[in-house]
This record gives sequence, C-alpha cells and structure tokens, in this order.
Amino acid sequence: MADPAGDIDPKLLEFLVCPVTHGPLDYDAERQELISRQAGLAYPIRDGIPIMLPDEAREIKAD
Amino acid sequence: METGQLFDIPLLRRRRDRAAMRDDRAEFLFEEAADRLCDRLLDVSRQFPSALEIGCRKGALARALPPKAGVAHLIGCDVSAGMARTARARTDQPTVATDIDLLPFKEGAFDLVLSNLALHWVEDLPGALIQVNRALKPDGLFLAAVLGGDTLAELRAVMVEAESRVRGGAAIRVAPTLALQDAGALMQRAGFALPVVDFDRVTITYDTLFHLAADLRAMGETAALIDSPRGIPPRVLFQEAARIYAERHAGPDGRITATVDIVYLHGWAPDASQPKPLRPGSAKHRLADALGSVEHAAGDRTAPPDPANRQGH
Repeated sequence: MADPAGDIDPKLLEFLVCPVTHGPLDYDAERQELISRQAGLAYPIRDGIPIMLPDEAREIKAD
Repeated sequence: METGQLFDIPLLRRRRDRAAMRDDRAEFLFEEAADRLCDRLLDVSRQFPSALEIGCRKGALARALPPKAGVAHLIGCDVSAGMARTARARTDQPTVATDIDLLPFKEGAFDLVLSNLALHWVEDLPGALIQVNRALKPDGLFLAAVLGGDTLAELRAVMVEAESRVRGGAAIRVAPTLALQDAGALMQRAGFALPVVDFDRVTITYDTLFHLAADLRAMGETAALIDSPRGIPPRVLFQEAARIYAERHAGPDGRITATVDIVYLHGWAPDASQPKPLRPGSAKHRLADALGSVEHAAGDRTAPPDPANRQGH
C-alpha cells in the first residue's frame, strides 16, 4: 500500500488517466510527474499524492 | 472570476487544506455518515476488488469500512491536497487530489464508487454522476451520502434575513442543496440502473450560531459561494444573525438547532445481467387466467387479444 517514503503507489498508476483528455499518463519517477502528452501537461506528484489539477500542472511543449 | 460559476473552488480548496490541518472536533458528522454508509454497503453481499472514494477528507469512511464490506483496494480522492495527504497518512490508502467534475480515472476501472458528504460542492452534479458511472465496471455499485434537502435551512434563512436587515438587501450565502425528490431522476439521468434514494435527518444543537459557524469552519464547509457579501462588517452581520437564530430556533434549554439532511444515492452501472422491466405487451400469460376470472374490455383502444389466436401457449 502507500509507501511512507512518499513514493506513489504503483497500483494507483493503473487507474489514472489525464483528467482533461482521458488519455494515458507517463510516469516520470525522477521529476515525480505524471505526463499527459495529449494535453501537454505534467501533473506533479507531491509526497506520493498525484495532484491531478490542470491549474497546478506544468505546461510542456510537444516533442 | 468566471461568471455563471456557483462555487469558488480554489477558495474551497484553501479552506479544506486548512481544515485538514485542524483537530477532528468537527469531523463527527462525517464519521456518523460514514457509519451509515457502511451499514448500507453491508446490505450488499458482494466483493469489491477495486473501489474509489470521492471526497475522502481525512479518511473517515476508509477507517469505518469493516473487512466484511468486501472492499479490497480503496483509492481516495479529494479536491484538497491537504485532505488527501491526511487521509493517506491515516489510512495507508493511496489518495489523489482532483476536481470532482474532472475525474482522472480510467473508464470501467472500479467495482465500487463511494462518496461521503462531498458531492454538494460539485458545480455540475449530473455531469459528475455521469463520470462516476463511466468510471464503474458494468454492474459496479455507486453508493453516496450527499448533504441535501433542508440541510442548514435555518442558517440560510437567518443569514438572508440578517443581511437584509443590516443593509436592505441580501445575497445567497449558503450553497444550494440536492432535493430528495430530484435525486431519483438525477440518478436515472446519469444512467444508473435500479436507482434507490432515501434520506436521514440529523439534528445538531449548538450554544449559539457562533459555535455552529466555528464547526463549519473547522470542517472547511463554510460557503465558498462566489456571491459573498461585500461591504458589511462580518461582526455586525453575524451578531444580528445569531440574535435571529436564537429567537427562532432555540429549544427550552436555549440551545439552537441545525438540521442536516443526508440524501443517500444508490445505483448500479448498467449491465445485461440486471433485471429489467419487460416491453409493454410482451406478457405470455393473461392475468385473468391466473386469477381464474373472466377478462372484460376496459374500453381502451387496444382490444384484448383473442384467446383463440394467442401465441406462446
């Protein structure tokens, strides 16, 4: 279950999609972000809690 | 500020973030509703391998769930990251911060979606329920307790009256609520099968309106309505309101009463295995035969079928 060290629960990742596009998310373990390429948004993970709020997401440029 | 928006969600988020840091003095209502939701869930003899709770606050429902309820893996979400953090620390369940009307979950992901007194802050409740339905597996269960009906009706009336006395006009200050008589239609509109709604009334007593307001603040439940009044010193308004409240709603012991109506929503994501009403006219047997009686035409336009030509026997 939840890791006290603040890592995201791996099972949780199976359930999450981008709230804006309902498209898939890529987990960036180093930056602690969930990236929605379709929406061009990176959602932060703070203390193991994904913050799935478009307002709080970082805008990213398409590759 | 966008026009036409009922709730100031960033303000609500800040208030709930603050409430997440406070003690649990005012969590009694959520704990009570959590117990009542658990009772309802125990009536359903099923296993729920994966479940979602919308509006997990500090994890009251996750902590109240008995093992018998059959919930194996529960994910909590809340509009407030502070609440999500507190719930995760207390319950060991994974949690997510999210807007309720922009749910970040896969379609058909959950066997069960629960919500404990959180949906009254949703701007578009029908839209949110449609999203809940989509997040459920076919034949998945949605079970929610929603603040509705006459919740805080006394406070609403008193605040409007106090404001109009103080400045000769009033704005709506307490969030509108779900009426029980609308709840069934709402569930049907959102596509739930076999919807059932019911409600419980809880009466809470307080010394004064100030004590009630302190609890609402501790809950993070003070109105986050965009139309909050400007230009009135809150102290003047609340003193007038407290006076009117005591005048109208005090019991013999001098304590004021506050009504809370909890509306329970219960419905299933549609599935072919569920019982459905038959098409009109698809009956294979005549009621008159079953009753050993003679069928008489009631004068309706569709004549009763001629017994000689009946099919299906």
